[in-house]
Amino acid sequence: MYHFKSLAASTLTAMLLASTSPAFADFWTDAAKGMEGTTIRGISESTPPSNYAKDVLGPAFTKATGIKVEFEATSWDQMYDKAIKDMEANTGIYDFVYIEQDIIYSYLARNFLVDLTQALNENPSLKSPDFDPSKFTSFIDNFKNDKGDLFGVPMEAFIKVYLYRKDLFEDPKIKEAYKAKYGTDLAPAKDHKEYRQIAEFFTEWGKSNGEELWGTTVQAASGHPASVYELVESVFPTFGVYNWGIDTKTYGASVDNGGRLNSPEAKAAFAWWIDNLAYAPPEATSSTWDEVAATFAAGRAAQGLVYGENAAWIATDANKSTVVGKVGVALPPVEPGVMDEASSGAGYIGYYDGGAFGIPHSSKNKKAALLWLQYIGQEAVQADWALAGSRITHKATYDNPKVQEQDKKVDGYYTLMREKGPLFRGAPPFPFHNQVREAIAPFIYQAITGELKPDEALDKAAAAADAELKNLGYRK
Amino acid sequence: MRSNSVGWLFLAPTLLILFIFGVVPFLYVLVIGFTQWNSFAANPDMQFAGVENFRRLVFDDQFLYSLWLTLKFAFFAVVSEIVLGYFLAQLFMRDFPGKGFFRTIHTLPLVIAPIAVGATWRLLTVPGLGPLPYYLNRWFGYDFNISRYIDQAFFTTVVMDVWHWTPLVTLTLLAALSSLPKEPFEQAQIDGANRFQIFWHITLPLLKPAILATVFIRMMDALRTVDEVWMLTGGGPGAATRYIGLHIWRVVFPKTDYGYGSAMSLITLYLTIVMCWMLYAGLVARRELKRVD
Repeated sequence: MYHFKSLAASTLTAMLLASTSPAFADFWTDAAKGMEGTTIRGISESTPPSNYAKDVLGPAFTKATGIKVEFEATSWDQMYDKAIKDMEANTGIYDFVYIEQDIIYSYLARNFLVDLTQALNENPSLKSPDFDPSKFTSFIDNFKNDKGDLFGVPMEAFIKVYLYRKDLFEDPKIKEAYKAKYGTDLAPAKDHKEYRQIAEFFTEWGKSNGEELWGTTVQAASGHPASVYELVESVFPTFGVYNWGIDTKTYGASVDNGGRLNSPEAKAAFAWWIDNLAYAPPEATSSTWDEVAATFAAGRAAQGLVYGENAAWIATDANKSTVVGKVGVALPPVEPGVMDEASSGAGYIGYYDGGAFGIPHSSKNKKAALLWLQYIGQEAVQADWALAGSRITHKATYDNPKVQEQDKKVDGYYTLMREKGPLFRGAPPFPFHNQVREAIAPFIYQAITGELKPDEALDKAAAAADAELKNLGYRK
Repeated sequence: MRSNSVGWLFLAPTLLILFIFGVVPFLYVLVIGFTQWNSFAANPDMQFAGVENFRRLVFDDQFLYSLWLTLKFAFFAVVSEIVLGYFLAQLFMRDFPGKGFFRTIHTLPLVIAPIAVGATWRLLTVPGLGPLPYYLNRWFGYDFNISRYIDQAFFTTVVMDVWHWTPLVTLTLLAALSSLPKEPFEQAQIDGANRFQIFWHITLPLLKPAILATVFIRMMDALRTVDEVWMLTGGGPGAATRYIGLHIWRVVFPKTDYGYGSAMSLITLYLTIVMCWMLYAGLVARRELKRVD
């Protein structure tokens, strides 16, 4: 009897599934009617999440709709160059573009992007039943305007975490040597002094043991904006300097003009970061975010601040990483008081990065692109994407069994992101990130090479930022 | 009269293309150079700014430094290429075993795209991965890191340029050497001139037009170098290799300061023309004056 009931229930479930699945699958076919054979072109940075969208989601979308997706995954600077030129010139080469969290304010100011909320309201037949903005994490709010209308569908969101070599930190011989030298237990750094001490210890350890091991990674490319970003978005906040050191009301950067870019805290942060180069591998001064991840994956650094999108592959992909199963994840070290400020919402401890795909006004295939954006925004595709790119944009993804399984292998990275994510923050809502970055970058680079002292460099950078903001007409 | 019209008719397509792709963009840059136009400014519209951009340039330390750096780069690169190219051309004038093979290998860099040259040199020199820093450190204990030491970066870009473009100089001078008349050399030998006297009083004056043309071409190329250096160093470390082309690129694209970038382009073009004219006057006009005397 029990078997009969069980069989009947299974049959009923199968029938229900059979009857609902075609309807579910049919939405894409129905919605894409008349658009089969259309090709949509998009551009994004070549990152693990983007490559997953290109290699897995693109072909799956084509199979479901008949719409082809040509996906250009390129370097970060080339991506912006191409996307901005296309949107400015209104050429319509791209039907969807990557919008990083910090550039959305510039794009909205220039009215480059299609209002997705409005577009879906105007085209109800294109509205997927499986696309629901309320299912996203609060990261989606970055891509809304004042009215709450959506301009980008988040495709990645992650935090820049403190990675350390768990195997080394737990090695009894190393622990003993560390305690003998410093009188304290070896553990992930909670503040900058501890971080420096650990960096110094492992650099010496590497030297004395003939290993290619250094104490820390530093994202200090001496001719690439990545170094500026590490300083203003990841290091400054841990010293209590927020919003790039620029006052969000007056748009002043220097202390004299109400900013904090050359404040004592900013100078201390910069000096600490520059001094870390002595404990970093030689490639540090040519390292962008990609090389930092590669350095850590190659087992050349004992600790470092690494973009979370790389955490999964570093910790689990033996084809690319030599430290599989040896990775520990923790919050970045901070100065006293900063954690309290972050907990209260008055500050933050690091960078909550990510991006979305949006549709430029210049697109010639807006309807097809609208379908694509909803396709990648479905809850059903999120879990595997999270495994491939350690990114989470939907609340439910955290509870997915696959993600929870992976979470154990990545030392609780996903749990950390879920629980401690609010301590991190994206870039301030400035419409001039690129312009200020380019104004201050030369001085940051010169400090990396030793041509300028860190405090001199920040004084010059603050003056240059003030001048640039005045020139752009933002300074009040 | 009729033949003139037919001539203009045949020339028309070329002139039209030149006008569209040469003159129009130049005029466009000229106009933008007198405007304030940054698409991410509080006012993103193009506004007439008079000569303000040009006034700013005079006081812009970064622009002036880039300009100075470019001149220094052009000087070291072009002089090295001419000297090396001359000796290689002389070498190829003689017969030696494997000459054909060596000449082919030597010419290969010329056919490589600049961006690929930059990528190749980057792979060779990148710290922590490239064989050059590795072996220099291992064999000589020399810390070679072009992302950290500004002089190393500067001279690496010079060496890369020399490696890429010396074959062009060699081929040009080889062609010139091959076409020199034999008589003056035979007469000089009969008169008992030594090798240096032959070089100084006969070879060099006869080669002057070819050398001058090569210097012009290479100098103009060196002044506008972008892609190789962008790939190798990105303009760093610091501002060590931020040559004027790269500087303008950064102002125009990442910074989107179109007005100011256009003014920089115009000034750079003007300076290039002036320098070429001065070089021409120095090398050719002086000779003409001597002839008149």
